[in-house]
Amino acid sequence: MTNSFKRIVCFLLLSSMAFAATADEWWRFWSEDSVTQQVKVAQPYIDLRSGPAQGFPVILSSEKGEWLTLLKRKTDWMKVADHKGREGWVAIEDLLLTEDATGQPVAITEPRFDDFRTRRWESGLQMGEFDSTAVNSAYIGYWMTDNLSAELSGSQILGNSSEIQMFSASLVHQLFPRWRYSPFFRIGGGQIKIKPKATLLSVDNSKNSIAHAGIGMRCYVSDRFFVRLEVNDYKVFTNEDSNEEATEWKLGLSVFF
Amino acid sequence: METWTKRIFLRPWLCRAVLTSTLAMGAMLASAEEVKPLIEPDVRPQKVDESLIDTENFELGTFIGVINIEDFESSVLYGARIAFHLTESFFIEGNYGVAEAGKTSFEKLAGNVELLSDEDRDYTFYNVGFGYNILPGEAFLKGPFSGDTYAFNTNFYLVGGAGATEFAGDNRFTATVGAGYQVLVNDWIALHVMFREHFYDIDVLGETKTSMNTELSTGLSLFF
Repeated sequence: MTNSFKRIVCFLLLSSMAFAATADEWWRFWSEDSVTQQVKVAQPYIDLRSGPAQGFPVILSSEKGEWLTLLKRKTDWMKVADHKGREGWVAIEDLLLTEDATGQPVAITEPRFDDFRTRRWESGLQMGEFDSTAVNSAYIGYWMTDNLSAELSGSQILGNSSEIQMFSASLVHQLFPRWRYSPFFRIGGGQIKIKPKATLLSVDNSKNSIAHAGIGMRCYVSDRFFVRLEVNDYKVFTNEDSNEEATEWKLGLSVFF
Repeated sequence: METWTKRIFLRPWLCRAVLTSTLAMGAMLASAEEVKPLIEPDVRPQKVDESLIDTENFELGTFIGVINIEDFESSVLYGARIAFHLTESFFIEGNYGVAEAGKTSFEKLAGNVELLSDEDRDYTFYNVGFGYNILPGEAFLKGPFSGDTYAFNTNFYLVGGAGATEFAGDNRFTATVGAGYQVLVNDWIALHVMFREHFYDIDVLGETKTSMNTELSTGLSLFF
């Protein structure tokens, strides 16, 4: 048996196992008789609110030793039912002080800065200016190593005389993956499509290649979110005598997984 | 000469017997300490498995309403909205809407003039932005027959964002600000009443001006 064949068989086996595991999870998730997840109040008392926010009134309290069934989660709030079936919302920070059936503190993980360092995927929306024209853009990135990621991004630049659509692929290198404020370099290329406005003389839409390089900064905020600021320099390769250049800055919010 | 006792313990078979009997005694005592419960419980204590808890941070919905397209009458608006709730207060939302612009007063008065083709009258927009639940609260409704009072969770929220509007042959950068009132029918169904103002620069009627377009809509959304 050749090595590559072995590898393929291994991959198929592993992926089918992974699929089976997720299917099982989904089944347990959807089936009626799924395991009830319960926690025991370990602090003197715990407040249950009518809705998932601090602004909703406290409608119930459960005292130490009472069991609460976990029902669903919205942002940082968990909907629970007490032993009489009465329901309310508990803040995750309060829930972290409860115990599970094994007597251990309940194992609910809060996305933290540590997760930011070990993220694999990130995605975000950004706004800014491209050559002093408004730009909206979105991107998605995959981290191949702690320092290096590959990104795909799309931008829409809406100027007075033209609409520009831009797609690019880039490599992003961050120097200090463990920093909360993490600077990065970005380099890549793509394509730009310029559509002149209808009110001007009708000119054919032109498609050009672009190359870009830039610097930026990621700032971890909290939870799964960080702010991303970047400045890029674009070179547009035209059919004319000289190539065009443009500078762009963008600021946006990103989520990581 | 060795004593009598010494002679006894020097005999190997006796030594072995004493040793094994003490060990056996010890083992018996140890097993006696592990008292088994009368009824062996079937279930083992389970740890909380986070992956089995349903999270509902996404909201997907549709809306219908009226948009006043400056200079081009008011039109019926249809759209879709997606929101992702970051915290109890903050959320990100994206909206997409379509409408068809009417005629300007000039077109109506002059009779046979068409400023825009039918295709150019299609008004589509998208925007993405932030929202903030500024006033969470409850609304109380009395049932019509039983007289029971029902409490619904509500949120009054502010939104602001940016996007683009495609209208009159062009795609224009558009800023939006607005507010909304959300009533949660249950945990995962919500009704919205929204008000949004869309701003963009337009030069269809000669000089460039900032166009203000007011949207008033009502929507239904589901959390998942």
